[in-house]
Amino acid sequence: MKKIILLTIVSISMLNSFAQTIVSGKVSDNKGDGISAASIRIKENGEGINADSSGKFSLSLSGSGKRTLEVSSVGFRTSRQAIELNGTTTQLKITLNPARGELAEVVINAGSFEASDKAKGASLTPIDAVTVAGNGNDLANSLRSLPGSQNVGEKEGLFVRGGTNEEAKQFIDGVLLPNPNFSSVPGILQPARVSPFLFKGILFSTGGYSALYGQALSSALILESIDLPDQSSGSFSIFPPHTSLGYQQLSPNKKSSYGIDMGYSNAKLYNQVVPQRPEYIKDPEYLTTDANLRIKTSKTGMLKFYTNFGQNRIAMRNPDIDSNTLKSSFDLAGKNLYAHLSYREHLGNSWKIDASLAYNYSDDRINNQLLDSNNKVIAIQDTLFGNKNNGSRSLVNFHQEKIVLTKTLPRSMSIRFGVEDIFSADNRSTRIINDEYKQELKDRLTAVFAESDFYILRNLAAKIGARAEYSSLLKDFTLAPRVSLAYRFDDGGQVSLAYGMFYQKPSNYFLVQNPDLNNMRADHYILNYQKKISNRIFRIEGYYKKYHNLVTANPLPSNKGTGYAKGIELFFRVSYTYLDTKRQYMNYPTELEPSYTTPHTLAIALKQFFPALGLSANVSYSLATGRPYYDLKQGSEGKTIIQAQGTTQANNAVNVHLAYLFTMFPKSKNRDFSGVAIGVNNLFGSKQVFGYNFSYNGANKVAITLPAPRYYYVGFFITLGIDRRDDLMDQVL
Amino acid sequence: MKKLIVIATLLAGIQFTTTAQSSKADLTPVVAKLDQAKSVEDFKTVADEFVEIAGSVKADWLPYYYAAYCNAKIGWLYEKDGDKIEPFAKLSREQVKQALALIDTVKQRKELSELYCVLSMANRAMVFINPMTYGREYGTKSGNATRLARQLNPDNPRALMIEGWEQYETPKMWGGDKAKAKELLTEAKAKFKNDDRSGVQPHWGEPEADAILKKLN
Repeated sequence: MKKIILLTIVSISMLNSFAQTIVSGKVSDNKGDGISAASIRIKENGEGINADSSGKFSLSLSGSGKRTLEVSSVGFRTSRQAIELNGTTTQLKITLNPARGELAEVVINAGSFEASDKAKGASLTPIDAVTVAGNGNDLANSLRSLPGSQNVGEKEGLFVRGGTNEEAKQFIDGVLLPNPNFSSVPGILQPARVSPFLFKGILFSTGGYSALYGQALSSALILESIDLPDQSSGSFSIFPPHTSLGYQQLSPNKKSSYGIDMGYSNAKLYNQVVPQRPEYIKDPEYLTTDANLRIKTSKTGMLKFYTNFGQNRIAMRNPDIDSNTLKSSFDLAGKNLYAHLSYREHLGNSWKIDASLAYNYSDDRINNQLLDSNNKVIAIQDTLFGNKNNGSRSLVNFHQEKIVLTKTLPRSMSIRFGVEDIFSADNRSTRIINDEYKQELKDRLTAVFAESDFYILRNLAAKIGARAEYSSLLKDFTLAPRVSLAYRFDDGGQVSLAYGMFYQKPSNYFLVQNPDLNNMRADHYILNYQKKISNRIFRIEGYYKKYHNLVTANPLPSNKGTGYAKGIELFFRVSYTYLDTKRQYMNYPTELEPSYTTPHTLAIALKQFFPALGLSANVSYSLATGRPYYDLKQGSEGKTIIQAQGTTQANNAVNVHLAYLFTMFPKSKNRDFSGVAIGVNNLFGSKQVFGYNFSYNGANKVAITLPAPRYYYVGFFITLGIDRRDDLMDQVL
Repeated sequence: MKKLIVIATLLAGIQFTTTAQSSKADLTPVVAKLDQAKSVEDFKTVADEFVEIAGSVKADWLPYYYAAYCNAKIGWLYEKDGDKIEPFAKLSREQVKQALALIDTVKQRKELSELYCVLSMANRAMVFINPMTYGREYGTKSGNATRLARQLNPDNPRALMIEGWEQYETPKMWGGDKAKAKELLTEAKAKFKNDDRSGVQPHWGEPEADAILKKLN
């Protein structure tokens, strides 16, 4: 009997150690969706199962003691937790976080749109700049379809949230691109100098941008240039009036590349076919040559050099606004040389250095003349008409050096700090009738900045920075804080807020008259909510900006101007901007709604690619309420009075672009990628009125409108990849 | 007493067998499971099993090859859900690299041909993410991999099937040829007969060939 009892006890106790521990539950991502077939394994012996299609699992384990449960799935970080095998049933709720480099965890995006070459979701790529209808190869133009940007048809650049185009700056690899477009021509949008294909990363900030950048009151367009190309290639395109030819060579060891591109544009033939409003004496002509050299200095290091030399020439006649019979001519000849050197390298111990250098030289010659009805130059002894015979030559030398050091710390924290030096020398000579006088302006601006990214909680990220600047010309020292926070909800939605102070020097046009001016300042407050809904980004953002020390010229320049801008922007397939802004600046006698702004703007861009046909179709539509206009005249006692004011009509335009992509040598090893494209800007020729110019006596009111109702383009492009790769692996891997 | 010892030993034996895990390198049951796999979950489960075997055996190219194939296949199943593809396509390419390191790339031509077939699929999955942006780089790599797979083993039915798919799906203006597709797929069908369906050497691909042939007829 005893033996039987003993055996039973031994058996039961052995059976107890066979007792099953049941671990079940659900594996989800941080949006709450189940992760199908997630792997649930015991680290110690590999025992485990895969979850079902909704992420649910039930695992029966035998044995006893502590074990480590590992839950994983492709694209996520493995989660590990301790469990106890004690014969009980446990329910677990496991959340897996995205793997680093995959879907970003918490991204601070108050006041910014990030777009990179990956083109996932609702992003922008250089291809969009070229293909989204109506962009004319200007990256800045393609951003006008995003909320925050005003559609100003007669001037190039970005007009962001109540700021002028001089308050939005473009940066390449950290340093300023001083002249993104060719020199301004009154009433006619000028093309961009740099091809959008130079860039792989685009960060469009509509406010609240990083402490690493400064001297832009409204907005920063932060561009990152491409590294080495995949292979050598040649390219050619012809889109009358523009034609371009380029070659890129990748070295056999794939460690360096160089390239050269040339572009030439002459509107003469186009203007003969499509009637234009201005009478061209010299049809717009542009010639650009650019070259690049890139060297991979080490496994993690990269040295890049880029240079761009552009020339433009235009001369036109328009009826003089103050006379029935006279005409005025405008003649511009411009040259611009831009060079850029950047270096980045990992220094070990999680340190990284980014150093950049930019140089720009520009030479612009402008001549304005008064002409009689026979197009002959006429000199009239009268202050108003006499002064219309004037000219200027502006030579600007600019260079900037910048170093940024970044230290990456555990738990996705990083610290960045650095210094930059900006030197500019502006030599102008101005001629009025026969009097000539010269002015020279030199400034050296030095800035130091620091910024840190860190997580306060798992779902709460913060970025804190500060920037200090000193200008030798203004003798003004400024200190600007920049703070932003973002909180990510369990359903994937995110709320971000940003605050910052932004300073900018008055333009040289005012500084030559009064070098004692101070920096202008804008304070930004931004709140934003963003969520991915059925694979598209939904975004709503509200902001308030307060301007201080804007430059007023009544008539002498001073910093007495103030202003504000507030609004709400919505983006979900369609972009809608509401802007309420007033400022006292330039010769505005009080705070007025600026003439380059409008309260409501709507933009819709539809893109469809049909891979089977090789056809890409883009249609874009924009609608904006009218813009305010003013006839400002200097009255007695130097005060400016508003002789007339009003609001233009609402403007809308439809732009269409079609591209047919194909290959001409499909069987060749050096396969080409070619296309034919055709497009029309302002398809229906709807009248566009951007504002009005007034004659001196206010009697003659001339609408500022497009040089022609529609702009047509048709063209062909080909890129031939020259596959010199000997290494088989590189052809396939 | 003897009975007690026997019973105790049996009980002890049961304990050991229930906790013991099959980390043996027997691919046959897993490959059989792969033959039945249809959904993303099926392929994920099978991929995990192959990765485990690969990790414990270490010197065999096949488990890495099969894991890479499963992940490439998942990339293809997610064609309409582009956002999900990238981690699987990347992992597949990584696993192909691991398999390549375990074979003699000069002598083992048949094995290399199979790996290039999987690589072609993984690259093609990248194209599905965004044909306009990725088509140029990954489409070219995919085509190159197929071409090499065919050169290394002209009788490989999988390489024939993939090239047939390419000829069928590519628009005419880009060099596609539906007549050539039919020719290749018919030849693939003939060569599939040489596969060992019960073994562990690659023998997938016939249903895919059938699906396209059906569309061509």
